[in-house]
Amino acid sequence: MARTLGLGGDRRRNSLPWLLLAPTVLFVGAMTILPLGYSVVTSFQEFPLGQAPAFVGLQNYRNLINDANFLSSLETTLVFTIAATGLEFVLGLGLALLLKQEFPFQGIIRSSLIIPMAIAPVVVGIIWRLLYNADVGLFSFAAQALTGRSVSVLSSATMALPALILVDVWEWTPFMFLLLLAGIQSLPQEPFEAARVDGASAWNIFLHLTMPMLRPVIVVALLIRALDAFTVFDQVFVLTQGGPGTATEVATLMVYKTAFRFSQFGYAASMAVALLVLVMFFSAAITRAFRASV
Amino acid sequence: MIRRQFLRNSLGTVAAAAGIHTLSSCGGSKSSGGRGQITFGSYADPALDTLKDVLLPEFEKATGIRTEWVEADFSGWLQKALNDGQTKAGAFDIYVMDDLWVPRFAGAGYLANLDELGFQIDQDFVPSALDLGYWPPKNGLRQPGIDARAKSTLYSLPLISDVQLLFYRHDIYSSGSPTTWDDVLRMARQKCDPSHRQYGWVSRGVKGNPIMNSFFVMLHDFGGGIFGENWKVVFNSPQAVEALEFYLSLLAYAPPGVAEFDSDQEGETLLQGNAFAATMWTGWCRQTDDPARSRVVNKISFDVPPKKVKQVAKLGLFMAGIASSAPNRAGALEFLKWFSSSATQLRFARAGGTPFKMSALKDDEARKGSRWLDATLKALTIGVPSPRTSDWSKVEDILGTELNRALLEKGKAKQHLDAAAAEATAFLKNAGYPVG
Repeated sequence: MARTLGLGGDRRRNSLPWLLLAPTVLFVGAMTILPLGYSVVTSFQEFPLGQAPAFVGLQNYRNLINDANFLSSLETTLVFTIAATGLEFVLGLGLALLLKQEFPFQGIIRSSLIIPMAIAPVVVGIIWRLLYNADVGLFSFAAQALTGRSVSVLSSATMALPALILVDVWEWTPFMFLLLLAGIQSLPQEPFEAARVDGASAWNIFLHLTMPMLRPVIVVALLIRALDAFTVFDQVFVLTQGGPGTATEVATLMVYKTAFRFSQFGYAASMAVALLVLVMFFSAAITRAFRASV
Repeated sequence: MIRRQFLRNSLGTVAAAAGIHTLSSCGGSKSSGGRGQITFGSYADPALDTLKDVLLPEFEKATGIRTEWVEADFSGWLQKALNDGQTKAGAFDIYVMDDLWVPRFAGAGYLANLDELGFQIDQDFVPSALDLGYWPPKNGLRQPGIDARAKSTLYSLPLISDVQLLFYRHDIYSSGSPTTWDDVLRMARQKCDPSHRQYGWVSRGVKGNPIMNSFFVMLHDFGGGIFGENWKVVFNSPQAVEALEFYLSLLAYAPPGVAEFDSDQEGETLLQGNAFAATMWTGWCRQTDDPARSRVVNKISFDVPPKKVKQVAKLGLFMAGIASSAPNRAGALEFLKWFSSSATQLRFARAGGTPFKMSALKDDEARKGSRWLDATLKALTIGVPSPRTSDWSKVEDILGTELNRALLEKGKAKQHLDAAAAEATAFLKNAGYPVG
């Protein structure tokens, strides 16, 4: 009798965590896995006008790998992601190292540095659209003063993408700075003191102590920013609409246009799934590269 | 254009974008009081103000049906409307649409059949405006998959007459409206003075739909077109190449950065007195005489676009259709009947709206308050719509991208039109069009 009761008690104890977890699991499943599964199913369909959706097998994916515009948008996205994340990391790290010490007005300076991050991306896009405006923009004004000619930054096939990268760097370097600053301030001080006693130079301390010890934070910061940059949309939509030509047509904009302007929902879903796979590959590669270098 | 005005417009865009987020929480809730409620879903546009501010309160008073107006920016609303149509969520009773959405919405079954609901048309409708509401189209090519013998059915009605007019400065064109495109180019050459920010022409240059809206009229005026027999792409014909070369030569007298101009910058350039002429939508007319918006009050006149070998105006009407999942279909139908009656159209025109009934467009009192109604009626009669296919947006994007490239390179018209034609043909062939 006692043994039976004990077993019942064990069962209750064993099932309690599952019961407590169930609402969360169901919620996460409903909010993420279901839509994702629906997207995958949609990617194997087409939606002919006025007819029920039809399964087309791998046709959308076959079209995708032969779609020069999609491949070009992926290339643009990669260039944007690597350039923006790289610059944000270098600048964010530099700022974190510079501002880690105590100094007067540090609270005000640190707070003002994070203002760009607090502005909605659409508003950021509009602010920079004004700055880049060929007629009244600051850049054009400076170019006029220096060279006597105005400059149309967003109409230039060579300048438009760097201009978008600059906007992203302006907005998101503070994020990188905050993460890295928190990481630097949490490092134990003993190894640094020992290195200084042993006469190590500042450069050597940075290279052989700060960087290796900061590596987990760097991985997280790079991953978050790279994933975010890979899915950039708002700024591109507001500033260039993918133009001039296809110079700034990033993959997310192409997915949006394909779904909501061209009503090719199945094809857009296949693009979205391909992007998801690429993002997963991308993040795994970054994580693995950093693990390998430890 | 001055910074303040640019910023004001930009903030307007932000407000509209922010409106998208509120959309999902709106609509759908129906009051049980009176005769119920109808919910309109729409894009934000000043041309709708008279309808919202004057006519809807009248409708509520006359019928006891309450109205709710939910709006977002153009792209945001299209996205919401497509979602609502596809999922049959029933969040809206009436979709406000750009006329080029009609093939997509009617073809996909998102709109209720107005013929079946018993809507009766009359002879007072401007024919070109009414025709836009039919699917399959009453005239011209039919999209693959649509039975060639299928009867054209009324799925939506005009809501606001919007058509491209020539806006020109009559203090500069002192001898009257330019009748040919050569007149426009001549004046641009004579009077363009960039050092004083005076430009002979302004246009939209952003890739895709914006630049296509600006080039469309010129393409047709020069004898070109989009599709020939059996959907053959013809926008790289010699006439089309000539039209693009002319367009580029005219843009030499446009403000710097015109390749990144969309509707707001085009309009502001004209309203701030920095350009002599442009082809713009009727929706901008009232703002030219508003001292709070315009520095050229009573200096701008309106006419049909100039001609070359032909003379056309681009139709871009606001349409209204009843959602097939509308919770209050009867109320929505009652609104369409009420609003499209000649009596209401007359009140709408006299209150400052742009009607779609002949009698209202010809009304003297209405014309006194809206001096563009005469040009609007003329433009409607020579109006050409976007091709009636649900795939037009894709073709427009392809052509509009190459036009934007030609604008940046200031030339290579034939090369860019050929590239667009090749890409569009491949797309159409893949989509099942008999392009050969």
